[in-house]
Amino acid sequence: MALLVLSSIILVTLDLQGSTATKSLRSIFGTVFRPVESVARVITRPATNAWFGITHYNDVTAENELLREKIAQQEGAAVAAAASVRLSQELLALNGLPTLAGINSVSAQVIGDSPSNFAQSVEIDQGTESGIKVGMPVLNAAGLVGKITQVFANRAVVMLITDPQYALSVKIINAPKTTVTTVPNPESTSAVTIVSVPETIDPQITVPTVPATSNIAGFTPGSIAAPRTPIISSSLTIPPGSNVSVRETGILEGRGAGRVPTVRFVDAAQRFGVVQPGSPIVTAGGSLSLAPPDIVVGTVSRVKERLGTAGPLLEIDIVADLSNLSFVRILLYQPITERTAP
Amino acid sequence: MGSRWTRLVLVSLVLLGLQTTVLNDMRPFNVMIPVMLLFAVTAGTLYGSEIGAISGLIIGVMYDCVLSTPLGLASLVFGAAAYTAGLLPFFVREPTWWTRAITIGIVGAVGELAFPLAQSMVGLSGRFQAHVFVVVAFVVVVGMLVAPLLLPVCRWTLKESLVG
Repeated sequence: MALLVLSSIILVTLDLQGSTATKSLRSIFGTVFRPVESVARVITRPATNAWFGITHYNDVTAENELLREKIAQQEGAAVAAAASVRLSQELLALNGLPTLAGINSVSAQVIGDSPSNFAQSVEIDQGTESGIKVGMPVLNAAGLVGKITQVFANRAVVMLITDPQYALSVKIINAPKTTVTTVPNPESTSAVTIVSVPETIDPQITVPTVPATSNIAGFTPGSIAAPRTPIISSSLTIPPGSNVSVRETGILEGRGAGRVPTVRFVDAAQRFGVVQPGSPIVTAGGSLSLAPPDIVVGTVSRVKERLGTAGPLLEIDIVADLSNLSFVRILLYQPITERTAP
Repeated sequence: MGSRWTRLVLVSLVLLGLQTTVLNDMRPFNVMIPVMLLFAVTAGTLYGSEIGAISGLIIGVMYDCVLSTPLGLASLVFGAAAYTAGLLPFFVREPTWWTRAITIGIVGAVGELAFPLAQSMVGLSGRFQAHVFVVVAFVVVVGMLVAPLLLPVCRWTLKESLVG
């Protein structure tokens, strides 16, 4: 028993020290074990399919209906979004700022989950031969998935953002809150007109009734804004010029299986205002961050207020579906702090 | 077919193949059946503490190689669990198949509980959550159910041969 404990502690110590011997052992074992696992996967696939058929049939049919509905809704929005992204990237490039489009990436297939009840990780079929290194961010079509934690010649391990060990600096983009005002329509006794006005902005100042002029040729501020008193009976949202999204940074931390990640260290500053559920969360970037800026992570699902100066704790809905990962993209991105001298 | 340790490595490879594929996909109550741990515990109940501890160490190192946790952690837990299971004759004079099955279930669950504990000791915090209790309860039941299958396989694997 003493020998067992001693050998295990030696192995743990060596591995935690980053010994090449333990890395080689894992790599060699991975090479030997890969064919065995492939054969086991092929043989057991009917059993797995039968299991999923029994346990997930209703979920799959319900999800199919929901997805069809969502696709129909998003087809139109996707075209507008693609145009906005392109415009944004052109603007960033014009100003010499880094964009995601300028970072090379490698596509990989997820070949297995972590065979553990406690770790949140997946294995992918690309490794050092494709240029992948430890720490690189991993995303799928929806958004951020995790980061590379172990890398071998032809495979790598991705720690998911739900893992308790995962932490990343993020930005919360807080849209100014809007209030809905109901105004009786003067032309009709039954119909009403709904006007959405940003709460933080005084409509008397930002929505002039008379078009103003400016020093910029061809630009008339407020000329497209609606008057304060509505006349037509339709829904109208007034977008004033100062209605710009405000950003605040925080730290995203995973909390394990079945629990949504949280964001903390958010400073409830006056300009930032109160964080609202639904606000998008993107990576913050920076020289110390493992991920470049502006990768979509999720949206705020719940805001937990805390006492004192702790600031609010945000629970987030991740946009990437981590339970159904098939293909992922690894950004070949390393911050300055992670680069080793040649 | 070679020594008992060669057979153990080969059988463990097959079990690891099942662990990382079908058992990893089929998770009743969101819990994976830890067949590698249960196999190590079975070795302890059948062949005593010493053989159990060595078997646990070998099976644990193999399991460690596919995990992202530090190498040696699973071998420590598996070895300790198998060693504990090997103490069965001290409590039950003539163990029967069902006393062994109960031991496999209980010690397997304790081993599964010890895994996040061991991870916490090397700095991997945050593993102890309410879900751990579901895992433990599930492993007790499944361990007892799977034991009748594991016992003959383990008996054949670790039987003494002329070479071993």
